[in-house]
Amino acid sequence: MKKIKAEKLGLTESVKRHLEAIGVVVGEVIVPSTITIHYPRERRKLPDNFRGLILFDSKACISCFRCAHICPANAIVMEHRIAYFPSIDYAKCIFCHFCVDSCPTGALRPTKIHDFVYKDMDEMVVHSEEMVETPEIVREDSFTVEYVFDGDVQLVKKKEKEELVPEVKPPERPPKVAAALNPENCISCRLCVAACPTFAISAKEEKTKIILEINVDRCTACSICNKICPTSTLGLVDR
Amino acid sequence: MTGMKEVREMSIEVPVEPPAEYESLFIPVPKEFVEDAYRKDDFIVFIGPQHPGSGHMRIIVRLKGDFIVEAIPDPGYVHRSMEKLAENRLYVQNIPLLERPAIMDFGNYNLGYVRVIEEALDIEVPERAQYLRVLLAELGRIGTHLYDAGILAVFMGHTTGFMWPFAVREFIVEALTHITGARITGSFIIPGGVRRDVDEKVLRMIGRIIFTIENRLEKFERVFIRNPTVVARLKDVGVLTREEAIKYGVVGPFLRASGVEYDVRRVESYEVYDDLDFEIPVGDDGDGYTRFLVRVEEIAQSMSIIRQVIDRIPEGDVISSDIEAISRNDIRGSFYDALAKITLPAGEYTTLTEAARGTLLFSVLSDGASNVPYRLRFVTPGWMYLKGFMESLKGERLADLQAIYGSFGYFPPEADR
Amino acid sequence: MPGMLEIMVQNMVNIPLIQPLVDVLLKIPVINYIVALILWRPIFAVLIIPGLGAIMLVLMIIVWWERKLTARVQWRVGPLEVSRPIGGVMQVMADGMRYFFQEVIVHRNAHAIYFIQLPILAFLPVLLPILLIPAGPVYAIRSDYAIPAIVALIALIPVVIIAMGWASNNRFAYIGAIREAFMYFAYEIPLIFAVLAMMVLYGSGDPFVIVEKQTVPGILLNPVAALTFIIATVMATSRLPFEIPEADQEIAFGPFVEYSGILFGLVMTLAYEKLYLMSLLLTILFLGGWNGIAIPILGDFMPPFWLFLKAFVFMLIISLLRSIYARYRLDQALRIGWSSILAISIISIAISYALVLTGWLP
Repeated sequence: MKKIKAEKLGLTESVKRHLEAIGVVVGEVIVPSTITIHYPRERRKLPDNFRGLILFDSKACISCFRCAHICPANAIVMEHRIAYFPSIDYAKCIFCHFCVDSCPTGALRPTKIHDFVYKDMDEMVVHSEEMVETPEIVREDSFTVEYVFDGDVQLVKKKEKEELVPEVKPPERPPKVAAALNPENCISCRLCVAACPTFAISAKEEKTKIILEINVDRCTACSICNKICPTSTLGLVDR
Repeated sequence: MTGMKEVREMSIEVPVEPPAEYESLFIPVPKEFVEDAYRKDDFIVFIGPQHPGSGHMRIIVRLKGDFIVEAIPDPGYVHRSMEKLAENRLYVQNIPLLERPAIMDFGNYNLGYVRVIEEALDIEVPERAQYLRVLLAELGRIGTHLYDAGILAVFMGHTTGFMWPFAVREFIVEALTHITGARITGSFIIPGGVRRDVDEKVLRMIGRIIFTIENRLEKFERVFIRNPTVVARLKDVGVLTREEAIKYGVVGPFLRASGVEYDVRRVESYEVYDDLDFEIPVGDDGDGYTRFLVRVEEIAQSMSIIRQVIDRIPEGDVISSDIEAISRNDIRGSFYDALAKITLPAGEYTTLTEAARGTLLFSVLSDGASNVPYRLRFVTPGWMYLKGFMESLKGERLADLQAIYGSFGYFPPEADR
Repeated sequence: MPGMLEIMVQNMVNIPLIQPLVDVLLKIPVINYIVALILWRPIFAVLIIPGLGAIMLVLMIIVWWERKLTARVQWRVGPLEVSRPIGGVMQVMADGMRYFFQEVIVHRNAHAIYFIQLPILAFLPVLLPILLIPAGPVYAIRSDYAIPAIVALIALIPVVIIAMGWASNNRFAYIGAIREAFMYFAYEIPLIFAVLAMMVLYGSGDPFVIVEKQTVPGILLNPVAALTFIIATVMATSRLPFEIPEADQEIAFGPFVEYSGILFGLVMTLAYEKLYLMSLLLTILFLGGWNGIAIPILGDFMPPFWLFLKAFVFMLIISLLRSIYARYRLDQALRIGWSSILAISIISIAISYALVLTGWLP
């Protein structure tokens, strides 16, 4: 426990404190410790893990819907292109990057772009094809400023344009493949066949039974079949 | 307070009817109250919600001369129905939602909610993650106290005292950006640890940031904290005695300023607070200045905690082995698989957290089957000390309202949730 | 009327720097009347310097300077984006433009006639003292009672502000007007005493005598009176730490809460205009008036120049107060005004008598 007690202010103490306050302010007038960064002429250096605009790689996307499911703001909607690809409504997005962290293949990746505007609400829904390329942004900055802390803060200015799209390695996901873990559970509903985004599952009828064939080369281990299966027949196994 | 006794009670029949707007505008005061004020020649002043010194709330003040006789709060202007919203979201999706009330203090808010889930599921959190959580919580505490100091300053017309804490807060924000990737709404603490590891370079930088903040706060102390005009405005203003503070349920630094040594970090320690050395600042006077000084001292204590965290943080994982994750240092790629399926066993789970402005309660009721909370109860410190704040206004001058408001650091979005 | 022109030409401000140009202009028919009128000493004093023109210049620069200085202290840069190459000086123009084109709202409960005319009427007590403030050879009215008359006219400004608060018919405006009235009494007596002390010291209420006697500036002769005068100035112009009637966080600009558009622009500048007048008075009483290093090329323009410069520098320094202090409470300010400031103002009179009686002054 630390006792906090305000001192009593006598006349001398009061005058001293007045002079202290004036002294500090006059000192600042003479040597100011300004910390302003003149955005947009200067841009602050941001760490590589900055959570900004999200880019999308359609080749890596396995249409697993994880991003759409995890989004706390319901900003992501899967739209059918070649497969189901995410579109982000930036009117709703709160930049928590749960989607980026959920993406198992690194198809969604973060950038440091934080300054972008749209003309209307419709335009704020960014479709997957618009997320592939880094959007064109007007950059007026010619300096990159960084706060360097040593005793006091220093604004270190470098005449360079910061690269806003950092290199992000995709997560090292263990190779897995879908398999029928509990074949006896299957009720032949064929939901998995219909749901598989890569058509890796096919069903062959044999009298009363149905045999599921999983094309291992096509399977991306998106685990949609796993999720949609009402009887937990399917699951993921190591490749 | 002494001046009030000198004002004579007078009662004259004034043939003035209260305006019809008192009823049509849904003002939460009874008609009799207004009529009584009109009859006794009192003055009813509405402070807020569009007032430079009220925040997002309205305080209905009844004045006798320059003295406040009655202060009635009218909160709820920034009510976002978070408890109800939380019932429609997955457990993990509630993390960004529940940190919104006090955005600068997200570390404590994340921590409180995540600990509910961990308590229910018995998840063991690695030590390194616990240290990182404490780091975030304390950075948020400093940031919030600085924010409140700035608001206190501008409420008393001290613009330098407003700008400097906000500038210093910017360094905290810089540290948070390097840890979490976002300036304020971090959403960084997840059940089972934190989202990703923080490298040595960033930790060393935070150490230097703390040193810088200390340097700059020295100047702030001379221009604002010790400034005689500030002392004159805050001293012996809005006094809550120890008994009153307990009676009205005041929490956090404001309770400690009235002489009660209660800090959840010590009483029901969580994370690694037991291993860290820090003192609880306690004041005796319970006036506005003590409430402010207690928080100033808490900033110093938090900085000391952060230094200890940086010195002592062990190597190791940051994500619990109870959680399914690709890497134990980074949740990336397995966030969904690890956390989307969380379902709590049936029952009620409660945690207490010492947020910057006081005790924060999270209580989750689960039905055991659904992946969303059945009911989430969430009591923020602002709501708890609103009553004490209103009681401390009584008997003070109208000009003191803003000073007392600032000395409580009342933050309507936090209280309204 | 050739006689009129002759009267004006005989009593014209003589500035060697522009004299050739004036000579040329005086030969052109109609223009010679205009030039002679502007350069006629009484008109020059009221219209150019230290009168209206100087006030406009002060308003242009002081608002910008105050914001810039405060920003410098507060680790910011201040107004910059309007006219970036010259450091944002045009910001005041931009603000004025905005005020000008903004709608003036006269709300239903206000006393519309007074509400609109008072901000304009407020210029009267601002400009009238200029008639009596001489700047060496440039003056409008010379009087033995100039200093008391200036103080009396400046004292009219709060009356206008109180009337504005009444005409606004708003709770905050009403509280602000009451506060203004209280503050008025708190600073006016010490202010008058400080001025009285200096008049005792110099033995006259005539600015010419006062300035003539100041071989040593009055601030050194009677620093206590100077301190009283400066604190009273701060209180009178409601600057921090005595920004009590306008306290924007407490009562939302008090008497001016209902004003908008150009009317708000007018009332906002009132405090600065008052500060300018009191700075001129302070310069005459304490800083040696228009005494200064002789610049022959300026001729008659030199005394007003020095007077203006001294007053202006004082204003620039006093704007620093904004970034140092918080606002006192009304009762605290009243206590300061009625006890310590009043006491030292009485002491200052005693010092003046002591100086006069011991014969320290020539």
